[in-house]
Amino acid sequence: MVSPRTIRNLKREWRNNWLAKIGVALVVAILLVAVFAPLLAPYNPRSQSLEDSRLPPMGFTETENSTSSQFVNGSVQVVSERTTVNATWDHPLGTNQLGQDMLSRVIYGARTSLLVGALGTLLAMLIGVPIGLVAGYYRGRVDDALMRFADVMLAFPSLVLAVALVGLWQQAVWRIPDPFVAAGLAPSMPPDIVLPGTVIVVVGLVTWVWFARVARGEALSVREEEYVKAARSLGASDAFVIRKHVLPNSVTPILVLGTIQVAAIILLESALSYLGFSGTSLSWGFDINQGRDYLATAWWIATVPGLAIVLAVIGINLVGDWLRDALDPGLGGEGGSGA
Amino acid sequence: MSHSNGVASRQDVLRVRDLSTRFFTDEGQVNAVESVSFDVRDGEILGIVGESGSGKSVTALSLIDLVESPGRVTSGQLWYRNADLAEEFSDAADGEFVDLRALPTRVRRALRGPSFSMVFQDPMSSFNPSIPVGEQIAEAVEVQRRARANPRSTRSRTQGYGLGRYLLDSVVPTLDYTDDESHERAVELLEQVGIPDPEQRAREYPHQFSGGMLQRAMIAQALAGEPDVLIADEPTTALDVTIQAQILNLLRDIQEERDMSVLMITHDLGVIARMCDRVCVMYAGEVVERGTLEDVFDRPTHPYTEGLLGSIPDLDDPAPRLQPIEGNVPSLLDSEMGDRCYFADRCPKAMTECLQHPPEYEAEGSAEHRARCVLADHPYDEREALPPDYFEAGRPAETGPVDGGTDDDRPAEEAQQND
Amino acid sequence: MSYGRFLLKRVLQGILVVWGVITVVFLLRFITPGSPVDFVAPQDASQELRQRIAAELGLNEPLYVQYVDYLVGLLNGDMGYSYIFGQEASAIVFGKLPATVELAVAATVVAVVLSIPLGVVSATRRHQPADYGATTFSLLGISTPNFWLGIMLLLVLAVQIDLFPVGRRGIAFSTAFWMLFEGNVSGMQTWLAHITLPALTLGTYFTALITRLTRSGMLDELGKSYVQAARAKGIPETLVRYRHALRNTLIPVITVVGLQLGTLIGGAVITEQVFNWPGLGQQVISAVNNRDWPVLQGSLIVIGTGFVLVNIVVDSLYAYLDPRVIE
Repeated sequence: MVSPRTIRNLKREWRNNWLAKIGVALVVAILLVAVFAPLLAPYNPRSQSLEDSRLPPMGFTETENSTSSQFVNGSVQVVSERTTVNATWDHPLGTNQLGQDMLSRVIYGARTSLLVGALGTLLAMLIGVPIGLVAGYYRGRVDDALMRFADVMLAFPSLVLAVALVGLWQQAVWRIPDPFVAAGLAPSMPPDIVLPGTVIVVVGLVTWVWFARVARGEALSVREEEYVKAARSLGASDAFVIRKHVLPNSVTPILVLGTIQVAAIILLESALSYLGFSGTSLSWGFDINQGRDYLATAWWIATVPGLAIVLAVIGINLVGDWLRDALDPGLGGEGGSGA
Repeated sequence: MSHSNGVASRQDVLRVRDLSTRFFTDEGQVNAVESVSFDVRDGEILGIVGESGSGKSVTALSLIDLVESPGRVTSGQLWYRNADLAEEFSDAADGEFVDLRALPTRVRRALRGPSFSMVFQDPMSSFNPSIPVGEQIAEAVEVQRRARANPRSTRSRTQGYGLGRYLLDSVVPTLDYTDDESHERAVELLEQVGIPDPEQRAREYPHQFSGGMLQRAMIAQALAGEPDVLIADEPTTALDVTIQAQILNLLRDIQEERDMSVLMITHDLGVIARMCDRVCVMYAGEVVERGTLEDVFDRPTHPYTEGLLGSIPDLDDPAPRLQPIEGNVPSLLDSEMGDRCYFADRCPKAMTECLQHPPEYEAEGSAEHRARCVLADHPYDEREALPPDYFEAGRPAETGPVDGGTDDDRPAEEAQQND
Repeated sequence: MSYGRFLLKRVLQGILVVWGVITVVFLLRFITPGSPVDFVAPQDASQELRQRIAAELGLNEPLYVQYVDYLVGLLNGDMGYSYIFGQEASAIVFGKLPATVELAVAATVVAVVLSIPLGVVSATRRHQPADYGATTFSLLGISTPNFWLGIMLLLVLAVQIDLFPVGRRGIAFSTAFWMLFEGNVSGMQTWLAHITLPALTLGTYFTALITRLTRSGMLDELGKSYVQAARAKGIPETLVRYRHALRNTLIPVITVVGLQLGTLIGGAVITEQVFNWPGLGQQVISAVNNRDWPVLQGSLIVIGTGFVLVNIVVDSLYAYLDPRVIE
């Protein structure tokens, strides 16, 4: 499925492409953070501490105006005080309005984002690729029907449809015991990995169309190849031809699209959680939503998780660009030749 | 070859001297054109023949300054006969001739069309697929008309055509770069190249044309500026055999009618034999032999030319085939070219002195017959012959010791890089 | 095929898709747990009252009767009655539509005006500072969640230096437009002040996307032989770039933009939420939360139909620019 030639192209594109290197470094870093979250997070991301609320990140100080009543010379006076809140190394990225450690929340948020991104993309692939392959392989009526249905799905903006479906359906939440906590390596951390099941299913349901389109295009072109015609004329069954010839040829473009879709779904998930449709509070979008109300007093609550999203998505997009350039699956128009 | 009589007395219109064009790629410097010299005369057809990758197309592009990055013309002079330019740019002039490479870019650009124009190999990809053919030809006419109206200004050629104007054009179709007069001229040109119903065809898009018709249209387009020199880069390669002869006849007729010079670039010796007055044979970026058609075809001196001609039974055979010459197309990577005669590794008559790069020698035949081969100077001496496996043993002279095992797949890889 | 036939075929296809959209939206209610009655009836409603409400909503009819009723209603412009608002759903949906259209159009204008020159400059000055700037911007643009970008713009330009109002639509474009006719520019100023940040927020992703597409498309086109042929016939470089290469670049770009229009509308939903912009997007979210079915269904149908309409326009434009697609 992955030929030596593919590997060679990947290597050639890798050598002079420092953007690809940045992308892979970012993705690997975020993967490591997500996997080892319980070991890396300094605090339990859910534990609140009101006296430590709204501490600024390192390098910033925040002044707060507070008023208090004081008993001076026998009478009550209202005193206006300016207090300076200094950042501490205890909370390098500051704390939110509940005193939760932002660094720990960002680390745990990576888990949610990547899990939703990966599982949602997988589901979309599992739905979209077979539909696209069948449509492109059989053409005619089957193709027309499936593609008109895909057109209908495309007419709904994925975010709008996702909002409707997640909002209307019950939030299913899947809990998986965290292996690190179970092994006693991080006793103070949340015991379960919380997976927003509905969100995962819905993002898969609203994005499969893209996979169907790409798979269909590949199937349409592969079925015209001489060796496929030969196989068919020798009596190979349709299922055999699809499995042996059409699917392997579609792997490259689907892989590239899949990479880009992980980034798109991370953005979609963060938008859903920002709008209050997340299944878990350990999500970057959810934290940005929280921070929206504290823009004037604690800007970092909304800023920090947003930067995390940007870094993750940039990383994945750079990897996607690298794969696309190296594998040239023809997703971005037809290739031209140089001088 | 009746028309070749008297060619020798004609004047040069273009003198190419020591032209070198290099490509600076990631793999290294590629010497696509290496010290090439030849002359183009008034009203003649000069052929440049060679295998693909021999540098003939890059030579053509170098003449009209269309070599694209990472390629660059690195040295040489292109003396073009033009009294007006010679007067205006006296620093770059030698008599009536002016060195194109010393002219400002905008002046050189202005020469495309009225001085030089080009017919490309594949008409389908050489026309813009989304603009009617007549409109594209009219555009070429329009550019020249505007240039004549105001000769030395680039502004007049552009007439401020930029992004804003483009967007306006897209919205208001009646606003267009070309006007009716240019359109009429375009139809006229289409008629001259033998396209039936030119009014109708002018409105059609390239994909509605057959290959042969479209190649005629491209010739019409190349004639729009009344060029002094028409460069035809493999003008028949992409066409059906039956159409090829028609296009060649058309080119010949037009050349005779207008008495212009044609630079015919091809890998097909049949085309050369049929069309050309004089010939340059290119190999590995160099002109290895040049002279009149009779010189080169009847008295080939360079073993490469002999090899090319080897299988042709008769000069009048319309489609002689290239004799496959043993060995591989040479690497043009500077680091791998070494200092020997580039053909030595494939040459049946390679001698020890061929490990030195040969100069151009005068060869037997007409006064202008030249060959870059020691055989033009003295005959083959068997005692000096290189052993047949000399270059297979790891090419000691150039790349140093190479493992015998890797030698086999090496040329294939090089060919891929240089393709 | 003639251009007219092409358009006709495209419109018929569009009608088919709109019908599909309506059907999916109609079925949405039946794949959702809970009955619409729950959100209309009081908490302590008797079984009898619930039955009456269900009958009034037509919920007791067989599915196909409800479906036909719904289609007939839509054809008459009736999307149902919103018990939450005590109003016809169509009045609410079409009342909110102009705000969203304004926002989407403004964002598209921002995107098209910025991205095409940026992409062209980036491609023609490859590996120069302008190119690096444009590619960095476009990478950031496609990687930044637009709601977060909106919040950051608010934080910097509205909260910190108070350059723009914090949100809400100040004035409808139509009102501002009529005020302009009466010689009053203040309406337009208010409109611009309010729409700038939302339009930038929504437009950034598109600007970035089109910049990327234009750049790679231009690089592709500039490498093709027809460009070299155009240069060889003496065409000035600006003409080569704009009349030849850019034209052919925009053909595929237009298709992608049409397909990505859903992203724009989806982005509008969340941008409206960030800026308190009273449009269809906000309406969808509140309708979901209130189970306001008539409004939710009506909004989804209007959004889907809008998408189909714009894509018909895009395809006609495509066919105009590239006559090959008609065949």
